[in-house]
Amino acid sequence: MRLLRMRDASFASATARAGPLTLDLEPGGRIASTFSTSQEATIVALMAAGIAKATTGSVLIGDYDPRVQSVHCKRIAGFVPHEPLELDERDFPRYIAYRAALWNIDATAAQAEARLLCERLEGMHEAFSYPLIGALVASPQLIVLDRPQPVYAAQILRAVEGRALLSTHAQPSNAAAFT
Amino acid sequence: MTGRAFAGMLQARLYVSRRLVAYSCGCAVLVALAAPAGVTTPLFLCSLLGIVIALDQTPGRHRHLDRCEQSAPLFGRELARAKALVPCIAALLATALFACTQFARGSPDGLATLLVVPPAVVACTLTALSATTRRGATRALYVLLACAVMGGAYALAVIADTFLAELALCVIVAFFALRQYGETLARFDPI
Repeated sequence: MRLLRMRDASFASATARAGPLTLDLEPGGRIASTFSTSQEATIVALMAAGIAKATTGSVLIGDYDPRVQSVHCKRIAGFVPHEPLELDERDFPRYIAYRAALWNIDATAAQAEARLLCERLEGMHEAFSYPLIGALVASPQLIVLDRPQPVYAAQILRAVEGRALLSTHAQPSNAAAFT
Repeated sequence: MTGRAFAGMLQARLYVSRRLVAYSCGCAVLVALAAPAGVTTPLFLCSLLGIVIALDQTPGRHRHLDRCEQSAPLFGRELARAKALVPCIAALLATALFACTQFARGSPDGLATLLVVPPAVVACTLTALSATTRRGATRALYVLLACAVMGGAYALAVIADTFLAELALCVIVAFFALRQYGETLARFDPI
C-alpha cells in the first residue's frame, strides 16, 4: 500500500500554479522534491497534506481522495509549514493542548510526547521545532514539510524516524540534506 | 467535531484576539458612561464592534491558527461554527458590559439593551464573517450588507418599535449568514 500517490497532480488559480507532479511514497519512505519557486513548493506540500485540492490529476493519501475525504487524509498526513512559529516557551503547553484538542487525542499523552520530542530536537530553534512537534503529537503516518531548514535536517530526520516523509524545497542543495 | 476541539478553537482564537476583545469591552463601557438614553447607541456601537472583531478572523491575521485549523481533521462547516462563535462571544460581552454600565448609572435602558441589541449584534457579526474569506469589492459588499442588517434591525426595533420583527429578521439573517460562511469555508482555497 502506498501512503501518497500523485498522478499528474497540478494546481492552478489566478495567482498561483504548481505541477503537474507524479510521485509515489511508501510507508516509511522519504522523498525530497525541488521546485522552481517557493510558492510551487508550498502548493505541492499543501496538496500532499490534503489541505489544498489538486485542480487536475489525482492525489491519494492512503486510499483517500482529499477532494471528497479530506478529514481522513488529514488524520494520515501531518503538515509542517515553512514559516517559523512565533510562540513563547511558556505558551508551548497551551499550543500542544490546542493541537491535542483539534486532533482529539489524549492531552496528557500529547504533552508527554511533546516533551520527549523536545529532547530529540535539541539544538533546533523553537520557532521551527514547535510546529514539527505539534504535527508529530497527532502520530501521523506521513509528515509533509514545506521548505524545511536544511541546517536542522539531522534533528528532523531523527524526530520523524519510521514515518514517511515528503519535503518540498526551492533549492536542490536544501533537498540534498533530506535525502 | 468534538466539544474539546470546539472549546480548544474558541479558547485559542479568543486568546490571540484578547487585546481587541479588551479594547471593545473598554470602548463599550466608556461610551455607555456618556451615551444618551435609548438603545440606538448600543445597537450601532456593539454591532460595529462585532463587525470589526469578525474581520479580525480574516485568514492570514493569525497565520499559525489558520494553518492548524486547515490541517486538522475537521469539516468546513464545523470550523465555521467554531470560528463564528468567537466574534459573537466578544461582541456579546461588549453588549453585556454596556448594559451593566447602564444599570450602574441607574438608566432604565439596561434591560432594553439586553433584549434588543444581541440579535442585531449576532446577525451583523455573522454577515461580516463572510467578508473574511473574500477580497476587494466582494469583501466591501459583505461589510456593507452587515451595516444594512444593522440599519434594518434599528428600523424595526427603534423606529417601528417591533422587537419581534427585529428578532425574526436577525434570526433569518443569522441562519443564512452562518450557512453561507460554512459553505465558503468548506470550499476555501488556502493558497
